[in-house]
Formats: sequence, structure tokens, C-alpha cells
Amino acid sequence: MKSHLAVAALGRRSLSVQFRRAQLLMPTFVLPLMLLAVIASGTSAAQSLQGFPDVESYLAFVVPGTIIQGTILAGLTAGIAMASDIEFGFFDRLLAAPVRRTSLVLGRLAGTLVLSLLQTTFFLVVSLLFGAGYPGGVPGVLGTLVLAAITAVAMGAVSSAIALRTGSLSLLQSLFPFMFVMLFTAPAFFPQELLTPLLRDISVYNPLTYVVEGVRALLGGTDQLGSPAIGFATAIGLAIATTVLATGALEQRLRKL
Amino acid sequence: MSVAVTLWRRSLNEVLRVRGALLPATIAPVVFMLGITGQFGRLTGLEGFPTDSYISWIVPLSCLQGAGFAGAATGSNLARDIEQGWFDRLLVAPVARPLLVVGPILGAITRSLVPATVVLVVGLLIGANLTGGVFGLLALYFACAAFCACAALWGIFMAVTFRTQQAGPLMQQGVFLAVFLSTAYTPEVLLQGWLAVVAPYNPVTYVLEMARQATVVGLEPSLEHTLPGLAALAGLAAFLGALAMFGLRRMGH
Repeated sequence: MKSHLAVAALGRRSLSVQFRRAQLLMPTFVLPLMLLAVIASGTSAAQSLQGFPDVESYLAFVVPGTIIQGTILAGLTAGIAMASDIEFGFFDRLLAAPVRRTSLVLGRLAGTLVLSLLQTTFFLVVSLLFGAGYPGGVPGVLGTLVLAAITAVAMGAVSSAIALRTGSLSLLQSLFPFMFVMLFTAPAFFPQELLTPLLRDISVYNPLTYVVEGVRALLGGTDQLGSPAIGFATAIGLAIATTVLATGALEQRLRKL
Repeated sequence: MSVAVTLWRRSLNEVLRVRGALLPATIAPVVFMLGITGQFGRLTGLEGFPTDSYISWIVPLSCLQGAGFAGAATGSNLARDIEQGWFDRLLVAPVARPLLVVGPILGAITRSLVPATVVLVVGLLIGANLTGGVFGLLALYFACAAFCACAALWGIFMAVTFRTQQAGPLMQQGVFLAVFLSTAYTPEVLLQGWLAVVAPYNPVTYVLEMARQATVVGLEPSLEHTLPGLAALAGLAAFLGALAMFGLRRMGH
């Protein structure tokens, strides 16, 4: 079987698993929106703080945080599904299939990419219905979809690497809070200048800082909120590095067999 | 009563004998506490915010969240017992059905002390103030224990209704929603939009007010801040308890 066909087939499989089990949709589609709704309403008074950027809609300002949260959850779901395949033996059967081994990782990541596209579209549409505006227009929205998808691939590759190294479903399921450290150490819901001093210093070293600011700039249509170019460069670099990590983990697993 | 005690010990054994079983339930609220404080710490600069220490505002919320998740886990464990057939055997035992869930609820309350205490200690270490003294601390722990019991009743209701572990996310999301559709991030005067309308009708708003007597200046321990919380907890327990018992009675029919 040709590699690209195997990647597409495995990607389709990972998506159907996701959509056939409603309980997997709750954390990836519903949880981020719930948090967005609560944050947008519960902290919108922050707009009157000195130093808060002059934005049309507070909801639109926090949507990038939700999108990045979605990419983390989509990525984590990929790792959980991979660990589940390993624990229940399906991964061993895949290893016996006449396809390139790296397709097993790339197929999973292809599913994550498509999941992220659907998820981000869903978040943007729901937020639009609730009054968020996107001054960046269609190019900004399209750029956001691509940037989020690349970031989701990076997150999926990290969790797949952990799944391949450990093969433990329960470990992957308990990674949820640790992955959230990455979200909360980036200016996901608040401007970087208004984060507490310690967090502001830490956020400089978090790659998601540049991604979330890139999304904010794309949707807001202004470079004052961040740099899309730096956001893309960071996400692409992260995706390449973590995919190499995941394929390395696969090779290590195969050597142990 | 020995049945309840035995099942209580069984649910505690699950924690003591499974390495790291409490880790996610403990770490998640700590991460949320640190993250929320880092992100929204400057909100204390808004006029009407009762304290200038945001960590003091968030610590009780994270304690309740940790206790709530520990409670909701009772539902997941019960769903597992139902799926694996263990609960069917208990149902035919010559004991009153409510006793079958009293033990796991007591177990959840005991377990909830761990995340609540870890969150409190971490919060105090990074700058929260224990302004409410002993009474405030008692109010905080009572709120956590009672909220844990309510979350456990919710989890049990979900477990006996769906009878599958796949309902686990629903149990957790119920707690998540209940906690965050309240004065979680800011006091009522600073809430805007739909949350300003919803929060006063959410019983957890009053449970939080009761718990915040421990750490928030301006919410000094008093009956005024305690009684609404107690009434809210009693109402929640009565409502969720009735749902859980209704579901339990239908089991096996």
C-alpha cells in the first residue's frame, strides 16, 4: 500500500473513532467552549484595566486562548487513542501491515490535523454567533485555521511520542493537567503585559505564547496584538521537532520488539 | 451500618493500593489555581474587588473543585462496578440500597481531604492569607466535604442512569459547570453578561462564599456568609440525593 494512502486511511480511522464515541467529543469540542463562555463573561471587566489593548470585543480577544486549548486537547486525544491501540493490541496488528512504519504516526497526526480544522471552525462560528468580531476577515480566519492545525499536529506528536515510549493509557489520561500548564503559561486569555510578573517571565519561553499571539493578530487584523509570521514559524518548528520525536519513539519501540 | 463501613474501607483501599490514584485529581486543581492566578491576577485592581490577593480569592475555588472531582469519581467507580457485574451482587445482598452508596460517599469525602489540603498548602505557600482563622478554615473544609458528597450523589445518579463508565465525562463536566457558573473568577458586582444573571441562582455561588471566609478579606467569618452556603448545600444534597435514590431503586428492575 502506498504511504499516502495508508496515512489517509489511518487518519480517517482516527477521526471516525473520535466521532463515533460521543464521550470523546465532550472534552475536545464542548469543554473549551464552556471555559470560553465563563471566562468571557466572568472576566470581561478586565477590559477597563490600564494597559489592556483597545479591542472591539473581549470575546474575540479570548477566543485565541480557546483555539489553543482545543489544539492541546486534540493532540492529547491523539496520544490517548494511540496508547489505547497499543494497550489493546491493535497497534501490533498495524505493525504487521505492509506499510511504512512512519505512516502509523503520520496517519494519527493527519487525523489530528483534520480534527483541529473542524474544531477551530466550530469555535470561531459559535463565538461569531455570540458576538465576537474578526476584523482580520476571511484571510485572518483561514490563517487561524492553518496555524491551529499545525499546532495541533505538534501537540499530537508530543502525546503520541509519550504513548509510544510508555504504552500506558492511564498515563496518557492523567497528562491532562500537565498539558494545561502549557496553556496557562502563555498569554492565552490575558495580554502578556498584564500577566503576573513571574508568569510573564515564564511565558517568554513558552512557544504557545507566540502561537496564541499570532492567532490574535490574525483574527484582530493588527500586528499590535502579535506577529502571525513568528506564530507560524514557531508552530512549524514545533511540529517538525515533535514529529521527529514521535517517529524516534516509534523506532525505539520497534527495536524493543 | 457495618456494610457502609466495609464499603467505605473498600473505596479507600482503591486509593491506597493503586499507586498515583490521587495524583491527577490533586494536580489538576493545583495547575488550574496557579494558571488562573497567573492569568487573571490583575483583576484585583478593579474597583469592587474585595481583596488585593487574587490567590486568596482562588484558593477556596480550587479546593472545592478538587473536592468536587474526587466526589464525581465515585460515579465513575460505581459505573465500573455496574459494568463488571460487582454491583449486581451487592444489590441482591440483604441490606438497604442506600447503604450501598453511603460507604463510597464517605470514601470520597475522605479522599477529597487530600486535594483540598494540597491546594490550600500550595496556595498559602505562594501568598494566600488565612484571614478567617480557625472558623474560616472549618467553613472551608466543611464546604469541601459537603460539596464532595453532593458531587458524589450527582456521579451516582449518572452511573445508575447510564450504567457505563463512558458517562464519566458527564459526571466531571457537571462539577466543572457547577463550579464555574458562579462567582469563580470575580465577585458578583464585577460579573457581566449572562453569567451575572446565572450566578445568583447557582447554589455553588453561596458555597463558595462560605468557603472564602477562610482566605478573603471582607468575607470575615459570620453567620451572614455561612447560612446561605449551608442552605445551598442542604438543598443540593436533598435534590441530588433524591435523584440518586430514585435511580438506585430502578436498578435491577
